[in-house]
Amino acid sequence: MLKTTLTAAAALALTTGLASAQSAWTGGDDLPTSPLACDGTPATPASVAYDGGEPTNPPDRNGKSITVVDVPKLIGIGYFDATSKGIAEAAKEMGTMTATTDGPVEANIDDQITVIDNYITKGVDGILFAANDPVAISPVLKKALAAGINVVGYDANSEPAARQWFVNQAEFNGIAKAMIDSLVAEAGDDASFAIVTSTFTTPNQARWIAEMGAYAAACHPNLKWLETVEAQEDNILSFNQANTLINKYGDELKGILGMTSVATPASADAVTQAGQCGKIAVVGLATPNAMKPYVEADCVKSVVLWNPVDLGYAAAFVLRAAADATLKPGDTSVKAGKLGDLSVINGSEILLGAPFVFTKENIGEFDF
Amino acid sequence: MTWRRLLRHETILALLVLLALFVLDRQSDKFFTLDNLFNQGRLMTEVGLVAIVMTFVIITGGIDLSVGSILGMTAILIGVFWKNLGLPLPVAIGLGLVVGTLAGVANGIIITRFRVPPLIATLGTLALYRGIAEGVSQARSVRGYPEWFYVLGQGQLLGVPTQLWIFGIAAVVAAALLGWTTCGRTTYAIGSNEVAARFSGLSVDVTKVAIYAASGLAAAVAAAIFVSRVSTTRSDMGTGIELDAITAVVLGGTSIFGGRGTIVGTLLGLVLIQALKNGLSLAGVKSDGTVVLIGAVLILTILLSNLFHRDQNR
Amino acid sequence: MTESTEFRAHRSGPARCVSAYGQEIVIACALVALFVVVSAINPRFLGANNVNTIVSGNAYIAVAAIGMSMIIITGHIDVSVGALIGVLATISGTLAVSGYPVWVAWTLPILIGAAINGVVGALVAYGRLPSIVVTLGMLSILRGGLVFVTGGAWINNLPPSFQLAQARLLGVPVPIWFMLVLTIAAFLWMRNTAFGRSLYAIGGNAEAARAAGIPVERRIVQVFMIHGAFAGIATMLFATQLKIIQSTVPPNLELTIITASVIGGVSILGGTGTVIGSTLAAVLFAAIGSAMIFVNVSAYWLRAVIGLLILVTVLVDMARRNREFRGSQR
Repeated sequence: MLKTTLTAAAALALTTGLASAQSAWTGGDDLPTSPLACDGTPATPASVAYDGGEPTNPPDRNGKSITVVDVPKLIGIGYFDATSKGIAEAAKEMGTMTATTDGPVEANIDDQITVIDNYITKGVDGILFAANDPVAISPVLKKALAAGINVVGYDANSEPAARQWFVNQAEFNGIAKAMIDSLVAEAGDDASFAIVTSTFTTPNQARWIAEMGAYAAACHPNLKWLETVEAQEDNILSFNQANTLINKYGDELKGILGMTSVATPASADAVTQAGQCGKIAVVGLATPNAMKPYVEADCVKSVVLWNPVDLGYAAAFVLRAAADATLKPGDTSVKAGKLGDLSVINGSEILLGAPFVFTKENIGEFDF
Repeated sequence: MTWRRLLRHETILALLVLLALFVLDRQSDKFFTLDNLFNQGRLMTEVGLVAIVMTFVIITGGIDLSVGSILGMTAILIGVFWKNLGLPLPVAIGLGLVVGTLAGVANGIIITRFRVPPLIATLGTLALYRGIAEGVSQARSVRGYPEWFYVLGQGQLLGVPTQLWIFGIAAVVAAALLGWTTCGRTTYAIGSNEVAARFSGLSVDVTKVAIYAASGLAAAVAAAIFVSRVSTTRSDMGTGIELDAITAVVLGGTSIFGGRGTIVGTLLGLVLIQALKNGLSLAGVKSDGTVVLIGAVLILTILLSNLFHRDQNR
Repeated sequence: MTESTEFRAHRSGPARCVSAYGQEIVIACALVALFVVVSAINPRFLGANNVNTIVSGNAYIAVAAIGMSMIIITGHIDVSVGALIGVLATISGTLAVSGYPVWVAWTLPILIGAAINGVVGALVAYGRLPSIVVTLGMLSILRGGLVFVTGGAWINNLPPSFQLAQARLLGVPVPIWFMLVLTIAAFLWMRNTAFGRSLYAIGGNAEAARAAGIPVERRIVQVFMIHGAFAGIATMLFATQLKIIQSTVPPNLELTIITASVIGGVSILGGTGTVIGSTLAAVLFAAIGSAMIFVNVSAYWLRAVIGLLILVTVLVDMARRNREFRGSQR
């Protein structure tokens, strides 16, 4: 018994020891970062050839009514509820599109692939998607293209050749700049901050964090990046993780960055309940409804996001244009209903616009 | 345990499957096409392989909750062996299969040598193996596999999806093993009454370890197929597959208390679930509705079957 | 291989106490050891705020584990409890924003949880379905049903009076009160009432219990209902922690709860274990999670460490049982 306990304890200690080989952040996807200029002068976009995929022998859908399915990462979080609303709004405005939102109940690549596969078999005219994994989703999307279906992505990209167009809510480096600038504005140029994200592998989050690191290193070198913790898409876990960070660093922690619409309100709640409002800045990506109580209490000064309703709306219009063949490879802009003209960047991406910062003044105007 | 009694559950199930297929066919003309059926077979293979071996595990009265984690761990290790260690891909895959089998052997040893109940042992290894997958991969994916590898998961062999051949062979071998060999009869004996089996001189422990090792191997093969199908590795692959497999096995008539079950039943269970998932979607039911229905079907089928087996109160 | 008090009778008082509560003592020791070690590395670990975060923030797991322990003691299991809590949380939040008094939003889920699990219990007891199968099916039904009914929308705009978990009574956070009071009450009840002891009997040997006159089927339904009620109480703490309620099922919650019960000494073979063990284990897990951040252990290895911990605990426990079993045969 004693022997067993001792061996067990030794094993545990060994594992923990090995596991101690850590760094603050080992996520990311090895892609090069391209931080924006510190004063906000937009970078001149390099013109890139069209690199999207093409449907094989699509039927002529110009002007006809089309059925579209929207497959987000998962159903059940406010963000995709909002994009779904935007798509429905666009479909109603167009009058020639029937859109359904159907997705996995967990953010799981296999389930998402199965859903898309079923709709390919069923026979839809268009697929809108937000990918759980850019590479894993590509085979099934290529299958959709081969079946003559129009494929347009939003929020989370796939490989370029697997879809025709991708509606990008904001450039990765634009989001990074907005986040870091907001943090600096609130906590100062030499603040120590920590990050709460979903998982280290979620592609968008990983890119944003990498870009944030590059931008901070270039323009605010005195910022101190303490740690990044994972909290999946669970708000209680995010809350507990944020609390642990506050407890661990005490006065040293001056800011928390929330990388998902789940992490940011939970972190704000942690800061509020710990009585640290005003002492710890909370900046992050979140939907306005979730953040209203904190913004109104002056605990959170700015919430960075884009308008996900607009994102869904734009994606639906892009799909319509692609189906009608009014948007062709090589075009430099597309008309997206009430949003006007959106520009084409990076070959086959369509930019929604600059990130939007919600503050106390304007947050009341939004309901999503 | 006569053939007649066994047959009753499988017959009910077979009738249910036929009924489901018929109804779903009426709802959508795209359901019963060869293309669709092959496609569904392709999607079903990973769960299917795991479920086939899970049948053996559950017949012995045990359970293996760690198959999903073994799948994830093997997938990550294949990527690590290939990319980080630079081994040629076939060697990496082979090594991955070895690791998966060893993980199963570890399960077996914890269960037989240390007498830990299978539910708890595999609960612990579920966390451990998934943790190893996350730790080793450091949350990075491995991509960019050579084209020939994708034939396994996305290609065809003589007109039939590649993985379906593997699945078919596995099903036939498993059914033969279970129905006609000493190994199979030992499996049933262990499930019916382990103590009696042991005193009868049957090599209970060796069989159990072998079964759990096979479970690990099945998960590893499923991992290779999965990676080939989605062309990437992720540390969260396979989460939840154990519940899908157990659902299929139990639906197929295998008693969770052990001693009863057939491969044919498991196959019918798999077909029913996949048919529902696919057919309902084609008929316009969304994912959440399908999930609810499958849960309801599981409970109802077992309830129905129990009503016919009143005397089997274990 | 079940233990009975007979085998321990030949030991003297303190030794019997230790062997009867061996598992609980091991966990308590592990907890103390963890605190000592981590505080040496970073003293803030022992700070009042952090202890509060660890215990109060995860008290709902301990409360749910009380109900789960009872289920496991009778020899059954419930893998749908996580989904149940998710559903009850949404119901609770919806009631609150729809203008019902706060206490209704808090207590109605308890009744609903008991009702839903009562159905499960009836299927298990009278339908003679294995509990793992029924709860597997129920898991799917609840998870899909939740998304189906809510359409994925979150619940915002909760009235501030709803935040029960943030309140304090005599300076101690409400969740901690819940956890302590319920654990002690359940422990005493399980040990000293006929009902409680009948659960151990059913888990030990259902046929013998039936022969002894215990209404086995009725007890099983009752214990499932109680477990559902505990899930409802856990929801009171879970849903009132933050200003938002998600409409997704918290990932892996049922596994955490089951693991807490099992590590806490409740034998999956049925018949032994106490709720004190499961509460201690729930706190231990939370403490480990927090400790990993404090000690800068790479977050990626967290799950591996937990898995190893489970296995180690179980192996030690089994070794102890094997030795006792063999030892008592002299």
